[in-house]
Amino acid sequence: MKKPNTQPALHKVIMVGSGGVGKSALTLQFMYDEFVEDYEPTKADSYRKRVVLDGEEVQIDILDTAGQEDYAAIRDNYFRSGEGFLCVFSITEDDSFQATQEFRDQILRVKNDENIPFLLVGNKSDLDEKRKVSVFESCSRAATWGVPYVETSAKTRSNVDKVFYDLMREIRSRKIEDNKPGNSRGKDKSKRKKLKCVIL
Amino acid sequence: MADIADLKIGSSDFNPDKYVRELSQRCVGGQELQQQYQKIQSLGEDTSAQLKRNVYQNYTQFIETAKEISHLESEMYQLSHLLTEQRSLLAALASTSLLGGTNAGAATGGESSTDVTAEPEKQFQIEDEERRRKLTAALEKVEGCVDLIESPARSVIHEGDLLELDPTEGTAMQRMHAFLFNDGLLLAPWIPNRRGPARYKFQTLIELGSFAAVNVRDMGSVKTAFKLLAFPDTRLFQCTSNQSKKEWLEKFEAAKKAALAQEQPKRQESVATSETSPVRSSSVDSSSGMNPFEDNCAVSSPDIAELPEWLLELPEDLDVCIAQRHFEDAYALLQKANQFTFPTSKDPQLLDIRRKVDGRGRALIEVLMKELEVSPDKSLQGGLRAARRAVRLLNQLGRSSQACDLFLKLCSSILKAQLRRVKREGATVVYVKHLGGIFFSNMMDMASEFLRAFPNSPSCASALVVWAGSELTHLTSHLVKQVFMPQSPISTLSECVVTIRTQCDQLTSLGIDLRYQLDGLLRSPLQRALSDARDKAVEAVKLRAVEDKWRPTNLGNKDALTKFVMETGLSPNHMQKYVQGESWIVLSASTVAFTRQYLSLLEDCLRLCTTELAHTVDQVLTDVFGAQLSHVEVNLQSDKLGNPEKSFIQKNAAFLLSELLPLVTKTYQERLNNPCQTLEVLKTKFSWMKPADGDGGEPSPAPAPAKRPTPLPRTTAPRPAPTKYSTVTEYI
Repeated sequence: MKKPNTQPALHKVIMVGSGGVGKSALTLQFMYDEFVEDYEPTKADSYRKRVVLDGEEVQIDILDTAGQEDYAAIRDNYFRSGEGFLCVFSITEDDSFQATQEFRDQILRVKNDENIPFLLVGNKSDLDEKRKVSVFESCSRAATWGVPYVETSAKTRSNVDKVFYDLMREIRSRKIEDNKPGNSRGKDKSKRKKLKCVIL
Repeated sequence: MADIADLKIGSSDFNPDKYVRELSQRCVGGQELQQQYQKIQSLGEDTSAQLKRNVYQNYTQFIETAKEISHLESEMYQLSHLLTEQRSLLAALASTSLLGGTNAGAATGGESSTDVTAEPEKQFQIEDEERRRKLTAALEKVEGCVDLIESPARSVIHEGDLLELDPTEGTAMQRMHAFLFNDGLLLAPWIPNRRGPARYKFQTLIELGSFAAVNVRDMGSVKTAFKLLAFPDTRLFQCTSNQSKKEWLEKFEAAKKAALAQEQPKRQESVATSETSPVRSSSVDSSSGMNPFEDNCAVSSPDIAELPEWLLELPEDLDVCIAQRHFEDAYALLQKANQFTFPTSKDPQLLDIRRKVDGRGRALIEVLMKELEVSPDKSLQGGLRAARRAVRLLNQLGRSSQACDLFLKLCSSILKAQLRRVKREGATVVYVKHLGGIFFSNMMDMASEFLRAFPNSPSCASALVVWAGSELTHLTSHLVKQVFMPQSPISTLSECVVTIRTQCDQLTSLGIDLRYQLDGLLRSPLQRALSDARDKAVEAVKLRAVEDKWRPTNLGNKDALTKFVMETGLSPNHMQKYVQGESWIVLSASTVAFTRQYLSLLEDCLRLCTTELAHTVDQVLTDVFGAQLSHVEVNLQSDKLGNPEKSFIQKNAAFLLSELLPLVTKTYQERLNNPCQTLEVLKTKFSWMKPADGDGGEPSPAPAPAKRPTPLPRTTAPRPAPTKYSTVTEYI
């Protein structure tokens, strides 16, 4: 029999966000260090990678979901399996930013957990000249949710690793906390990292 | 030595080096070392022999197990064969009946494909039949999913072989066959050694709405795979090719979309839901009918409505109560059911319930009886108190006689266990006292417990009496074995028997008098013991007679003399004439010894004596006394002895006949309330031996025993004493 402890910890990350905001591009950049120019809508793809997180070998399981509206009804099943969420929007498209609220709501409903590891990601930061969503706007939304906000660029690979690693750290600390017996939910709210706004 | 070595070598912290060092230190010279060496070698041989034996034993066990397993396997095969036949039969039945009913349900079948409404009715029917045929054909191959065919709207969208992989490691787990229906995904692993038509075994049916399929990007060993997220599980499946994976994912999506499209109009149209719900419920009903574990009373629902709900749930409630050991509640429920006047109608529903309730009643009784039953692995710790509940309930259920039987059996085993604890150590009397004490005090407790549990039932009471009798028989047979041995003195026996008798009499307070039975059981061993005692006593008399020198006895000191007089129980006044000086008594040693022995024998005999034993006791007393008297007689008539001796002998005879014998008869009379005839005979027979000379007053007490002798006649006795004394002293 295989011993479970020999298997590195598995963190399940789910990419959510409207269609065309660059979820797959971020994932592929993280996975294979390549930027795919061609756009082909994703249905649901799963990736797995071994990475070293703060000196510890872990596995990341990335579920890249479909952003298209017609899949909204069946997203619940994806979200249930997630331990952490990267909620991506394009800073060049206000609709995608507005849609993040809907994703957030759905995730909270499915997971029934206010403190689920969650990052708000503004992608396509390389296209700053086409920016439609201001940093202030994004930061304040992230602040109301109590989550960090990070701007990334799948094309230049800026902050790509950061969002995945930050999320994994949150998932990991969350798991450690959950395993501690008798800790209250109210406590970890106060312990939560200070919200920061990373724009680069 | 070897044992110590055994222990040392066997211990867990055995250190060979240390052991050898110790050994070599302890042993002096090669000889001893050689011995040790041999010892260890023999130990080693023993161990290897044991090991061999163990291996052999395990081996035979293994063979037996293997046989058993193969036997079981063949049975399982037979069973599976039977089940398969049954299943195909049922499937055939179900499909025929459903085909007949599809016309009516055709309208609902339209859900399976969206464009069907545009098609003419006839073509739809053909399509539906085609769908059904396909479904049946597909599911034929899967074991344990007959009821899936029932759902009228179900159709197969896609099917294929998949390989399930470990979701974390990506290693192969099992081969699967998957069916995608319009409403769910059926997963069925391959049956490794299949028999019959079924190739796959039903594992699970995941509803379409509760899983999500995710394409898995090829990664290392995991290729052409997709993931199934069915919370909380994540399952990984490998397809045979990229093409088939693509197909699966497309089909999943299509099915989901179709289901969604179907959902939406339903939500808007409330009528549509009412249309589908009867279909659902009917399928549920029919499937539950197939379930052999469910009570079939649920099937014919319309009649039930008239009956109270508690009645319908009664069998189940009873089951629960019995299983949870709430026997009182179960009884209460049964009572309630019995009080419920069942309508006389031949309603099968009611009859069914009635039958079931009766069955549960029997089950309850059985469980309660089990409760009372004695088994070796059951602890008797709780004693009778623990049995109270079961007994009470069984009584209430009208099973008094069984309960009484089991209760008494329980008593027996408790008693046995208690008695077994009594160890025989020390004096017999103490042992018997202890044993009897435990026996009778337990008996008391049990009898009172019994009377408490079974009041006012003569048949049970008689069972108790019989039981007590048989227990007593056990006890006495044990006692006879333990106590009545040829070498045990009659005094011990009498003490034991008296102890047992008094303990036995305690039971009379509960109305159980076992005394007669006890005496009856002890009679023959006692008779034997008494005649043994007699023989011994007579033997002793004879022995003493041989050594008799016919001289007065010196008892050593005054205290001893007083003690003897006290022992005899004769008043000191009477003894006065036989006493000389400080410590002398004018009786021969044999007479003194006999007096002592006889008085203790008398005491024992009288203690043991019962009406049945009276004859034996008489015999014993008379024979022993007679033996002594004949000894005196023989000496008196003997020519070898001179006159002074004869007069001394006469004096002894006088003591025996006028002092001891009256005392004996008096005591006898007092204790048993009737005179001892045989002793009277003895008296008259030997009365001639009494000295006729100087003590003219002597004959007068002859009839005394009957009238209780008074000390009066003996007032004259001291007078001749001095003369006697002078004559006797000559011999000293």
